[in-house]
Amino acid sequence: MAEAIATHLGRAAVAARSPLRRRSPFQRKAFPYLLVAPAVIYLLGITFYPGLYAIYQSLFRVRFNSWTFIGLDNYTKLLGDHEFWASLWNTFIMGSGALLLEFVIALTLAALAYRDPWIKSWRILFLLPMLFMPSAVSFIWKLAFNDGRVVSDLLMRIGMIDRPLDFLGNIWLARLSLIITDVWQWTPFLFIIFVAALQGQDAEIEEAARLDGARWSQIFWNVSLPMLRPIIAVALVLRGIDIVTMFTSIFIITGGTPGGATETMSYFIYRTGFKRFDFGYASAASVLLLALTVIIAQSFVKRFFRSGRED
Amino acid sequence: MARRRKSQAGSLALRYAILIAWALFCIMPIIWFLTIGLRPRTEIVLPRPLYIPTLSLDAWNMIWTAWPMGAYLRNSLLAIFGSVVIDLLLAIPAAYSLARYKYRFREDIGFYILSTRMMAPAIVAIPIFFLFKTMGLLDSIWALMLIYAAMNLSLVTWIVRSYMLDIPPEIEDAARTDGASDMRILVSIIVPMCLPGIITAGVIAVIFAINEFLFTLLIASTQNAYTLSVALANFTGGSDGVIYNAIAMVAFIAFVPVLLLVVAIQKHLSRGLTMGAVKG
Repeated sequence: MAEAIATHLGRAAVAARSPLRRRSPFQRKAFPYLLVAPAVIYLLGITFYPGLYAIYQSLFRVRFNSWTFIGLDNYTKLLGDHEFWASLWNTFIMGSGALLLEFVIALTLAALAYRDPWIKSWRILFLLPMLFMPSAVSFIWKLAFNDGRVVSDLLMRIGMIDRPLDFLGNIWLARLSLIITDVWQWTPFLFIIFVAALQGQDAEIEEAARLDGARWSQIFWNVSLPMLRPIIAVALVLRGIDIVTMFTSIFIITGGTPGGATETMSYFIYRTGFKRFDFGYASAASVLLLALTVIIAQSFVKRFFRSGRED
Repeated sequence: MARRRKSQAGSLALRYAILIAWALFCIMPIIWFLTIGLRPRTEIVLPRPLYIPTLSLDAWNMIWTAWPMGAYLRNSLLAIFGSVVIDLLLAIPAAYSLARYKYRFREDIGFYILSTRMMAPAIVAIPIFFLFKTMGLLDSIWALMLIYAAMNLSLVTWIVRSYMLDIPPEIEDAARTDGASDMRILVSIIVPMCLPGIITAGVIAVIFAINEFLFTLLIASTQNAYTLSVALANFTGGSDGVIYNAIAMVAFIAFVPVLLLVVAIQKHLSRGLTMGAVKG
């Protein structure tokens, strides 16, 4: 505490010496804004402008180059469109399935591995799937599940099934295939973060609990895990955002089939815009997805990331 | 006591069983996919899969003769490299501003930058497509460069900012009393001192740019702008279907440099992936 106050005073003293004394007060005030401005302008150009454009375009029926103003018709149509609701549901069901599995597996593996003498090897081994391009990973699993029938063959060899399964022809098997693809590639993301967090915690607290006779599972649940909570939250938010925007694997593996059961919101927007060329309608869907994202971002992000200097 | 030791041995065995099982689940598909890249096309899609194939370099020859692989590599390299340069030029000053100055709206600006990471590509895909169309940038690596830079700018800024916060302010204060200007301090003190953070941010930006799929799919339509990631999806031979051995070969060509980069920044990886929130 005393130390904190001392550095605080030190800083204040330095500030009082006024590092920027040769500049006018305006320059001094403007400098930090000038430093951050290029990045902000660039990002506004690539998010704010497109956002406004999408809102504007969503009020029109767009047929190639002819735009007809139709007010909110796209939105009312969207709210009654079962394909749109299905895409929302699919995003939710596949996203939460994948996120839950990844979380449980990554936390279990991290808890088992972080004090292991071979942790460095485990880390590299578990990391490998994440280092392939998602498009390549999608092809690996498309071949394994469907075109090459490898998964069916292996399951038959161990006697779990009698006939090959039609993984992409069945609603739940297709969803499961996409979930497994995501779990295989992205569990490492959470694992790496959890291991780092567990290793970074104060070892003395664990040691004290151990000396008191607690078993390692007790230590993990009652000591390590509560300390890990903020980091778990950050990791899940970051992974959750990427899962909600799931696109590549859908595009390559299923194309939304069977019967639209694997079509996510991203894929719905893509298909409406770039396959059916109904850009106004697709923009309306984008705006709704944007609203959803903003709500999620507002409610989660600020709580888990701290901005500014910690003083 | 003996029972306790026995149960400990049992739990140790269980622990290794689980870890080894997951390691196999991670590695086996990769090894199997490598054998796909090294076998002839006739041995891929069969009624029953073949696990021990004939060794063949067909795929390697095919990607260089049947497709403009050189162009795909060039596009990927230029677009990614350019985007990282843009990111660093914009992010380093922004990160410094967020890490070291106190001013109105600083928090809001910081969170705005962070929140662009939450933007789903699909939301902006259509407007961006029209924007690049108007600018005449469709099917060019310039468009890819701009979009990759935008996509990664938030994470590069936040990672660099996190490393800048670790530098004790006393060092800058000393330089200030010696009469160095703020810009000078940033360039010759701060940047060298947070170089690990800058490299980490750069590597993570490179990986996300290599992975990018949706925007590239919309922007690129010929070999002028196809990158490795999207070129894969075009390795189909008309009625013959997907050409998996070529896809596997290209997947490994992209995998090797990513692996090397990640091994190089291994210690910083978790911090980079969480945009600085976890100090690994």
